Amino acid sequence: MEIFDGFLKAINGILSSSGIFTLNWQNYVMIGISIVLLYLAIKKQYEPLLLLPIAFGMLLVNLYPAIMNPPSVELLTAEQCAAQHVEIAGHASRVIDGVTYYENPTYGGLLYYLYQGVKLGIYPPLIFLGIGCMTDFGPLIANPKSLILGAAAQIGIFVTFTGAIFLGFSEPEAGAIGIIGGADGPTAIYVTTKLAPHLLGSIAIAAYSYMALVPIIQPPIMKALTTKKERMVVMEQLRPVSKLEKIMFPIIVVILIAIFLPDAAPLVGMLMLGNLFKESGVVERIAKAAQNELMNIITIFLGTTVGATASGQNFLTWNTIKIIVLGLIAFSMGTAFGILFGKLMYKFTGGKVNPLIGSAGVSAVPMAARVSQKVGQQENPGNFLLMHAMGPNVAGVIGSAVAAGVLLNIAG
Amino acid sequence: MVGSILANAAPAVAELSLNEKWISSAKVVLTGFIVVFAMLFLLILVIKIYSTVVSKAQEKSIMKAHKKEKIAQPNDSLKKPVLHPVSKSPEAPVVQDGIDDEVIAVIAAAVSTIYGPKTKVKIKSVRKSGGRSAWANAGILENTRPF
Repeated sequence: MEIFDGFLKAINGILSSSGIFTLNWQNYVMIGISIVLLYLAIKKQYEPLLLLPIAFGMLLVNLYPAIMNPPSVELLTAEQCAAQHVEIAGHASRVIDGVTYYENPTYGGLLYYLYQGVKLGIYPPLIFLGIGCMTDFGPLIANPKSLILGAAAQIGIFVTFTGAIFLGFSEPEAGAIGIIGGADGPTAIYVTTKLAPHLLGSIAIAAYSYMALVPIIQPPIMKALTTKKERMVVMEQLRPVSKLEKIMFPIIVVILIAIFLPDAAPLVGMLMLGNLFKESGVVERIAKAAQNELMNIITIFLGTTVGATASGQNFLTWNTIKIIVLGLIAFSMGTAFGILFGKLMYKFTGGKVNPLIGSAGVSAVPMAARVSQKVGQQENPGNFLLMHAMGPNVAGVIGSAVAAGVLLNIAG
Repeated sequence: MVGSILANAAPAVAELSLNEKWISSAKVVLTGFIVVFAMLFLLILVIKIYSTVVSKAQEKSIMKAHKKEKIAQPNDSLKKPVLHPVSKSPEAPVVQDGIDDEVIAVIAAAVSTIYGPKTKVKIKSVRKSGGRSAWANAGILENTRPF
């Protein structure tokens, strides 16, 4: 009989702590959403390197919320300590209603510790290090005017800030939402952890979703704002850039930006360090490690823990819906302003610049540049805009890091 | 519980008046627009300046090197296949046996793509590089590189 009672108690304990009794409806909705995202990542291959860990982190936290629990202190009586084999010696105690309680520290969940790299702003600059190793700034150095397009595409960030303010968000929250328009995941995460960490899940998921949807969102805007004649423009071949120019570029950029806008220094500094690894040619092994092993490890940690911030209670709110709508506006406006400035350059250069390369100013490297190439080729199959679009594309990465620095300075 | 971690960081939002919202928005839009453009214009300027300086310095050093070469080897008939501006008489490049015309066309296209239509270049000769294949070289390099 005693054995049976013990068995029933154990089963009761397991059942009461199981998800069936502890999870609420929001968790179940989020589990459904995470499965849809997993499907999109695996079957449709929408940014799978990020979407897969994000979706799985989301799934995990909604199945087992304690995986993101911070370390805490539980109060135990002397009897409870004895029952749980907890040593009393060395533990602080306090007396509540005449009973002495001992403070017993408990450990946090696995993802809580991995999340510290996001919370403390460590992972995004490390991702930038890897991106720097993979980026060729040659097209930008060959045609520095493309920096104008990289700047123009950031206007969407600031316009969306206005929209967010009028929808009732605070200044820091509006800054974090606006940065979605930069179409740069690590920058969006970096700014959000500094300005509005409670919105991280929604903003990161909106940012990465829109980046994955670049080939769907951008072409209609590009076509609506340009004429067939403009889209047909064949641009002149870019001049070759010497190795010395490529080596000097990261050093000069980091000096200028870190002096004038120190808030952007962690992101731009790491981006340029990575690029110097690549261009110097003397630390090939480090460059390889930064763009492969390190970047992959950080991507796993970043993706999973960002996904884990999207617990049902946090994510299923009106604010998330507002953020998703505002993010789309930010992204579309970034594209539109890039194209409009491209049109200006078309006019000023007497038709030598194809305005389609302007949309690549929204970062999202190299997807946005590929979209410029694809839309250009639809009008003129012999037109190769890819290298021309890479200029604004990498300029957009610098531009969104500068915009991030501005937002951190004003709204932080 | 996750909510509690993140909620700790949530700022207390005081509802802004309409006027405050306009001021806040205008401040950020104006500052953001001006600072981002100013920074990137500054970068354009600096890139242009250093590109010009670097390319002029490199041109000079190339000229010097050419002069030295000419002084050292005035009648060197065994020059390596280098690219020179096109001369008035368009000669066909010297092609080693066993290299297809298609390969020559591809090489010419690649050279033209790199230098662009404005720079006129001439391919003087095309020959196979001796020794190991590129893959064999890469393998040896990978295995013999010091740690």
